[in-house]
Amino acid sequence: MASATPAIGAFPSPYSIETPPGCEGWEEMYPYYAIFDERRRQTDENRFWFWNSMHFPVPMPAFDVLCIDSPYQAVGSWQNRVFAVPPAMGIDYRIVNGYVYISGNPVTDPEKIAERAGFFQKRAGYYFENWSELYDNWRVKMEALIAELEELRVPDLPEYEPDEVAFGDERNTAFYEVLDAYGRVVRLGDLMWQHHFEFLLLGYGAYATFVEFCKGNLPDIPDQHIAQMVAGIDVLLFRPDAELRRLARLAIESGVDSAFIEGRSPEEIEAELSQSDPGRGWLRELGEVKDPWFNMATGDGLYHYYRSWLDDPSIPYAALIGHIGALRAGEQIERPTEEIQRERDRLAEEYGALLDEHSRQTFGELLGLSRSVFPYVEEHKFFCDYWFLTRWWNKVREFGALLADHGFLEDGEDVFQLSRHEVSCALDELVLTWATGGQPLGPKHWPDIVARRKHILERLGEWTPPPALGVTPDAVTDPMTIMLWGVTTERVQEWARQQEGGKELAGAAASPGVIEGVARVVRSVNEVADIREGEILVCGSTSPAWAPIFSKIKATVTDVGGVMSHAAIVCREYGLPAVVGTGRATAQIRTGQTIRVDGTAGVVTLLDGRDG
Amino acid sequence: MQYTRPLAELRRADEARFGGKSASLGELLAAGIPVPPGFALSTSAMRAPVHDEIAARYAELSESVREPSPAVAVRSSAVGEDSADATFAGQLESYLWVRGVDEICVAVRDCWASLNSVRAQAYREHLGAEHEAATGVTIQLMVDAAVSGVMFTCNPVSGDPSMVAINASWGLGLAVVGGEVTPDDYLVSKVTREVVRERISTKDVEYRPAADGRGTERTEVPPDRANVRCLDEQALTRLVELARQVERHFGCHQDIEWAKRRSDRELFVLQSRPVTSLPERPPKAPASALSLVMSQFGVPPHASD
Repeated sequence: MASATPAIGAFPSPYSIETPPGCEGWEEMYPYYAIFDERRRQTDENRFWFWNSMHFPVPMPAFDVLCIDSPYQAVGSWQNRVFAVPPAMGIDYRIVNGYVYISGNPVTDPEKIAERAGFFQKRAGYYFENWSELYDNWRVKMEALIAELEELRVPDLPEYEPDEVAFGDERNTAFYEVLDAYGRVVRLGDLMWQHHFEFLLLGYGAYATFVEFCKGNLPDIPDQHIAQMVAGIDVLLFRPDAELRRLARLAIESGVDSAFIEGRSPEEIEAELSQSDPGRGWLRELGEVKDPWFNMATGDGLYHYYRSWLDDPSIPYAALIGHIGALRAGEQIERPTEEIQRERDRLAEEYGALLDEHSRQTFGELLGLSRSVFPYVEEHKFFCDYWFLTRWWNKVREFGALLADHGFLEDGEDVFQLSRHEVSCALDELVLTWATGGQPLGPKHWPDIVARRKHILERLGEWTPPPALGVTPDAVTDPMTIMLWGVTTERVQEWARQQEGGKELAGAAASPGVIEGVARVVRSVNEVADIREGEILVCGSTSPAWAPIFSKIKATVTDVGGVMSHAAIVCREYGLPAVVGTGRATAQIRTGQTIRVDGTAGVVTLLDGRDG
Repeated sequence: MQYTRPLAELRRADEARFGGKSASLGELLAAGIPVPPGFALSTSAMRAPVHDEIAARYAELSESVREPSPAVAVRSSAVGEDSADATFAGQLESYLWVRGVDEICVAVRDCWASLNSVRAQAYREHLGAEHEAATGVTIQLMVDAAVSGVMFTCNPVSGDPSMVAINASWGLGLAVVGGEVTPDDYLVSKVTREVVRERISTKDVEYRPAADGRGTERTEVPPDRANVRCLDEQALTRLVELARQVERHFGCHQDIEWAKRRSDRELFVLQSRPVTSLPERPPKAPASALSLVMSQFGVPPHASD
């Protein structure tokens, strides 16, 4: 990795990146095909790769690689093999020092593009025509998948198999049950990712078309106005926080609000509540709300770190304390849905009226289409990334616990330091030695590997990846890269300029307003709890699962994301200035630094000190 | 009084007799838009004794504003000026801060004279305007402007019809119109009144009425004020309202001169004319929503029919 290849253009060659000291051998955590390998250098070095910090802001643990492979298998399948998006096949990824870089595979042959266009029009057209019905079916499919995951049991390895195995015909032995359950957990994950991407491209595409149409006819229209015209009013994702607001009111009405004191842990609050009748009543109501509404992840869901509110109730409890405080102070905490609805209709009507007759009709059609696809765009995250994934990680944890019980791991959580294939291998040996009664080697094999990898990941976390590698493209033309990541030609040029470092960061103006304040750089979900009242959140990207902390902060700055990103949506909801897609805010800004966020112009200014 | 009329009585149809500027101001007044009052001289006044008529109209004006010798602007109001395809902007003379009947008459004569000036002739030839040179004159109450500027009822750069583009600088409009300062530049949404973009410039020069109240003088703006944003949200919102009113009235995009009065911060429209040049939009073939979505995914245009 330490070869002396010069940088090509503004971005370094992927083959020139040095391994940080103490991280030697990081490649062992990842599949052979995920590395920038000398045997593929000719092509890999001449492509444009960008850091997918939107989904993978921190170094990948070995097991979590499944959340790279599986999504890219799925997105490629739909995009390339089902819909045959004419100019773009799937997305390749590589890992450098634990960070994930991606690059699209273009289709350039005009004949091939025409051939694919035939498939695409037929198949995508079918989806657009039958969207609502197909999406209804999709939700049923997803709920069934989640139920199947819940029913899946991770068996014990008993000293003696129960009688049913001996006398019945229905039961398999535990060795088979363990291996089968593990295989099924992995496959259910794959299936979720398949469902996840079924609608995603088409949904984003319809919305992106509307955005482009607006910008073509109304070149200066603020991005947030476009989003406001489309955004759903009664969106599933707002439901969890709506339930918290309801519970906050209930706490006050039933006179148990005094239990909610800033600084108390959820356990302490629940302990006090459980001592009175009204308190127990409130806890019962909380129990009703929890499933499904607490199946929110504390992050964007692609790492095992992101637990759900069920696993870690500190976020919803912090929100409850905030809501109760606001209610006591006489503040209005409801989402003003009627007002949002009125404004949404008013914007659509007034913008439509400014267009000529023909454009107005197209505008209306595209707006209608965008509104019909948007529920999926907004809701798939709840079903897939939050509800399913947080529970799926917990299933994997059960295998971790099994391995730990038998000494293969020091701690169940260590399972995530092994790749899915290594876990499969460890389980193989575990059930083998359980069956034979022989001495397993695993307890002497895996713990050292786990310890080394934990150390490497920690050191890699201190390394700052460049926003892009390889050849700077003249233009970004891949519709997926533009739609899903907001990586446009302008953005790449901006990154290239910023390679020099500077006092200003530019991004997309996601939510208007200008504000100065103290930055809080949050690079992993563990740091969310550190956010103080009135700080400016600086992070890779936010997720609406963080919604409750938005009542604490003054503004948001993200590394990656467009105006469709959930950070942008939530900031507009809360009326907070936001600049998204700055490329390197978390690298350039440090916690405690004073910054100015201009969400109207899309500029972040570092006011004291230059660098993080 | 056959050669003069109050501005408020003029309409578009009067352009042939009173010139474009006076007719357009009459239209604005009729639409209820705040325009400083005044009166107009017809083109035929050029060959007539009009001193007494001017004196009478000026007395009416003086009475209506309860001020003995109110300052006025005297401007040419040419026929063929202020039409959508020909902006005579700056080609004909304006006389500002003129007081008293005698001074007005001098300014009126100078206006007539300027009609034959070399640059105005050249401009008219350039446009191919063949009609005989004739001009009316607009005599309009001055606004002592703390801030003034121009605005377009669309973004003239991008052509966005949902925006009002506002340029503003300290003092009278001369500095902006004459290009002597880089004005503050605001882009404001007609739909939400949000300031979508703004660029605050160093406005280091301003024109004020001269100390004796006659004519104007150019002064330097101290640095601490030169860099200050010269319009607040409230003023911007009001300007957008005015811009929409004017646009609605004329039914096409307008280029509007405006002023913010020093005494009470009231905003006035000083003149308005159609925008003469907008970015050419490539004519687009009618496209259905679905075909646009298809092209978003890179379906070649001919394949999407």
